[in-house]
Amino acid sequence: MPRKAASKGPQLTGYRRPNGAVGVRNHVLILPVDDLSNAAAEGVARLIHGTTALPHPYGRLQFGADLELTFRTLSGHGANPNVHGVVVIGIEPKWTDRVASAIAKTGKPVETFSIERHGDLNVINAASRVAYRMAQDASELKREPIQVSELVLSIKCGESDPTLGLAGNKAQGRAVDRLVDMGASVIFGETSELTGGEHLIANRCATPALKRKFMQIYNDYIRMIEAQGVDLLGSQPTEGNIRGGLSTIEEKALGNIQKTGTRPIQAVLDYAEPVKPGQGLVFMNSSSAGAEQVTLCAAGGSVLHFFTTGQGNIVGHPLIPVIKVSPNPITCNTMSEHIDVKLPDLLVGDIDLDQAADRILEVFARTVNGRLTAAELLRHNEFVITKLYPSA
Amino acid sequence: MAHRALAHKSTDDVAIAVADLKAGEELVIHSLEGGKAHKVKLLEDVPLGHKIALKDMPEGHVVIEYGEKVGRMTQPVKKGGYVHVHNIRTLRWDYGSKSKGQKPRAKGGQ
Repeated sequence: MPRKAASKGPQLTGYRRPNGAVGVRNHVLILPVDDLSNAAAEGVARLIHGTTALPHPYGRLQFGADLELTFRTLSGHGANPNVHGVVVIGIEPKWTDRVASAIAKTGKPVETFSIERHGDLNVINAASRVAYRMAQDASELKREPIQVSELVLSIKCGESDPTLGLAGNKAQGRAVDRLVDMGASVIFGETSELTGGEHLIANRCATPALKRKFMQIYNDYIRMIEAQGVDLLGSQPTEGNIRGGLSTIEEKALGNIQKTGTRPIQAVLDYAEPVKPGQGLVFMNSSSAGAEQVTLCAAGGSVLHFFTTGQGNIVGHPLIPVIKVSPNPITCNTMSEHIDVKLPDLLVGDIDLDQAADRILEVFARTVNGRLTAAELLRHNEFVITKLYPSA
Repeated sequence: MAHRALAHKSTDDVAIAVADLKAGEELVIHSLEGGKAHKVKLLEDVPLGHKIALKDMPEGHVVIEYGEKVGRMTQPVKKGGYVHVHNIRTLRWDYGSKSKGQKPRAKGGQ
């Protein structure tokens, strides 16, 4: 079955939103604009079945690019195609309306509530009645046939060890090549962990302009590091990486890059900028920390994430399924409940890279069609906003 | 087939142990991407995930792995020897003086 699925494309179903975007989950989101509104948002989500709150610690006294990134992250989650409708709650109406109006451009249901002059209890009452209706409407939506070419996906690796560079990331790279060839957009990032292999990424950019944009983002990052009076040698590779056998930062980066496959890079984006289907392989500037990177990809429109891990990173996300792939036999045995695709047989040669990619894409198809991931079952709902500098 | 070690590319200078290996083991090392196999007699113990020299390399040799430069030898190593932080360092931030007991080396030398 996997061979057949790979050759003609798996049969997939999803939810088509008013703007044509396709999701693989059907959430009703209760979105707090700021830390003060977490209590009301979580109150609504506790009352109404089928709703999800996204509590976070920011949204007050931010300014400039940092404020814009928080807004883009919040409205990007509301706009994500895995979301049917959104209730936005903020302490005051102005920023609340700003986040909501960006989401409303998708045509999906959005309603706003602000707490000043009403109080939490009145807001929870009114917002819960709206959430009740949205959740009931969402429950009647039907999955319909979709194509891989309608999806935005994303990738990252974490708790890396040499089993990833040797096997796990190579298999993931083959899966990414096939998904891109079928027309999907696939986002990768981890700006810091490209160090030592950034020339390979630069050379895969589809145009000279994209290559210049990528190198500017990369060099800005290195300047930021060196402005702190340090280099990365004390932290990259990490002590854990060295214990695992990685000796140099170049070696770590080359292992990381394997999972991006071999296709040209068709777009270079900054943090949380929107990605559309059909863009192919896309670089998004991002942290290499798991939850921050997955959150930025979800804000950019990713509806499903592949996460390869050596030693066992267990990250998830509240709105998008995160598929864990590991070739490490110890991790697959001791942390079995966290790993969706187990590939230790690839490491010893019982299956080859194409069979491993088949296995990843088979789990991908089942997950798109509604199978819950390990991270979803274990309630790994990490939502971490990237902060660029201190608030005022 | 039960691999004991694997190379990223058959043309690389180093391969990776996929089990804990003991000095004296005779290995046939393949790449998952194909190409010619290497026959290597292991000179030292090499733990799972760590690197094995696939040829003699002098001090200063720029080491190729994944078909790319991954560092420079700070001591010579024989084919079948163990390659790690004691005898290889990055080409980035290549000041030379940061590691104790290691003489400064001009960037880009050799």
